[in-house]
Amino acid sequence: MTHIDQVPTPGAPLPVEIGVKAGAARTNPFARVFDELVRFAQSRSLFMLHYCTGCGAVELPPAMTSRFDMERLGIQPMVSPRQADILLITGYVSVKTLKRVILTYEQMNSPKYVIGICSCTVNGGMYWQSYATAKKLNDYMPVDIYIAGCMPRPEAVIEGLRGLIENIRTGRADAWKDYYRRYDHYLGNQQRLFGADWQTPTDVIAEARHYDLFGPATLGAHTALLEQHQRPLEALEMRIEIPELMRRRSRADQGGTAQ
Amino acid sequence: MTNELTTWLDTLLAELDAISVRRTSRRRLRVEVASDALPALLELLRGRASFVHLSAISCVDWIDAGQFELVYHCWSYEIQSLVSVHTRIPREPGVYISVYDIYTPAAFFERDIHEMFGVWFEGSPDLSRFILTEWDGPPPMRKDFDSEAWVNQHFGWQDYHPDWLKNLEARGGGIAVPPDEQRFSRRTVDET
Repeated sequence: MTHIDQVPTPGAPLPVEIGVKAGAARTNPFARVFDELVRFAQSRSLFMLHYCTGCGAVELPPAMTSRFDMERLGIQPMVSPRQADILLITGYVSVKTLKRVILTYEQMNSPKYVIGICSCTVNGGMYWQSYATAKKLNDYMPVDIYIAGCMPRPEAVIEGLRGLIENIRTGRADAWKDYYRRYDHYLGNQQRLFGADWQTPTDVIAEARHYDLFGPATLGAHTALLEQHQRPLEALEMRIEIPELMRRRSRADQGGTAQ
Repeated sequence: MTNELTTWLDTLLAELDAISVRRTSRRRLRVEVASDALPALLELLRGRASFVHLSAISCVDWIDAGQFELVYHCWSYEIQSLVSVHTRIPREPGVYISVYDIYTPAAFFERDIHEMFGVWFEGSPDLSRFILTEWDGPPPMRKDFDSEAWVNQHFGWQDYHPDWLKNLEARGGGIAVPPDEQRFSRRTVDET
């Protein structure tokens, strides 16, 4: 709950309380019922981000469309990471793609779930000795479900998604919390590939504090390295360079000053 | 007309001393030329013989001979045939001259070959990183680059029998991998 009288100051923790603090007794007798209801609703309305890597994406159109019809499970494709719940990694992730995958993952709102489809996300698959592809997806981000196969058929994809739904309903799909609790570990693996000056626009440590998921392994040697190299984020300059528009605007300015 | 042009080209190239020509099929001509004569030959093909399209430059690493083989694939829309110009340069220092002034698209191919094989093209407009933007190792397509060692050094491997798989096996699923095919079991590496 945000208090209007507490104006947030830059750098200070936000005056926002969310969820139940660890250790606090829950006073609402219906809390458990609501929890179950909320989890059921969450598990039955999943938005899946349209971000496909590698060749496993070929199996998704049949899984989504009328033959296997993912939507009967409440799963729909979504175009933006901000509104998506599931990040599907459908095949090999090159080092270059992995950067974008991590940026996408960090943009998604919690709770978020990652599914690694195809053998390549499990252990490199047929690209096991390729210098250009990342081998183990859960080194870089927590993965909820792996669906092995090269490529898994839509039945297997649906089976995996049903497993995820079941995990969400019973409250076991909490791999996303691991990213905050052990951020140092994930950041270390990312730095191993992208170099010491790797930095994302998302402040994961502040988010960990915000979600009350700040653990002993959130900070470490790698986050210290990040702080050394971190450049403060700056807003992008808005610039419109359409000649016609610029001409009109300058004309309007001159007219305004003349009057 | 097309046939006549092909014949003329064959005769013309056969007249030149420094090159060896072999017609591999009706539409393909394999030309081998010394590295210092290659720009002149390309100039001739493009300017006089209608081979205006450079479809690719490919590179082969002949590590035992200590040479790089560069292959320039030129296509003519009029004669409808492909001329592959092969040339060899010494592997060390691996420097060659750019054909950017003859074929503009060569800039892309040369940048690619520079990244993958480390060949430096004198006069190419931009040889900065192209595809492997995160790469800091040696040129990866050279024969002496050990991809497997690099991978073992830079990536971790999944256990062949992790705990989550045991859970799956308890429910009747799982993966069967014969022990002798488990090349990268972390567990055995840790034990030794």
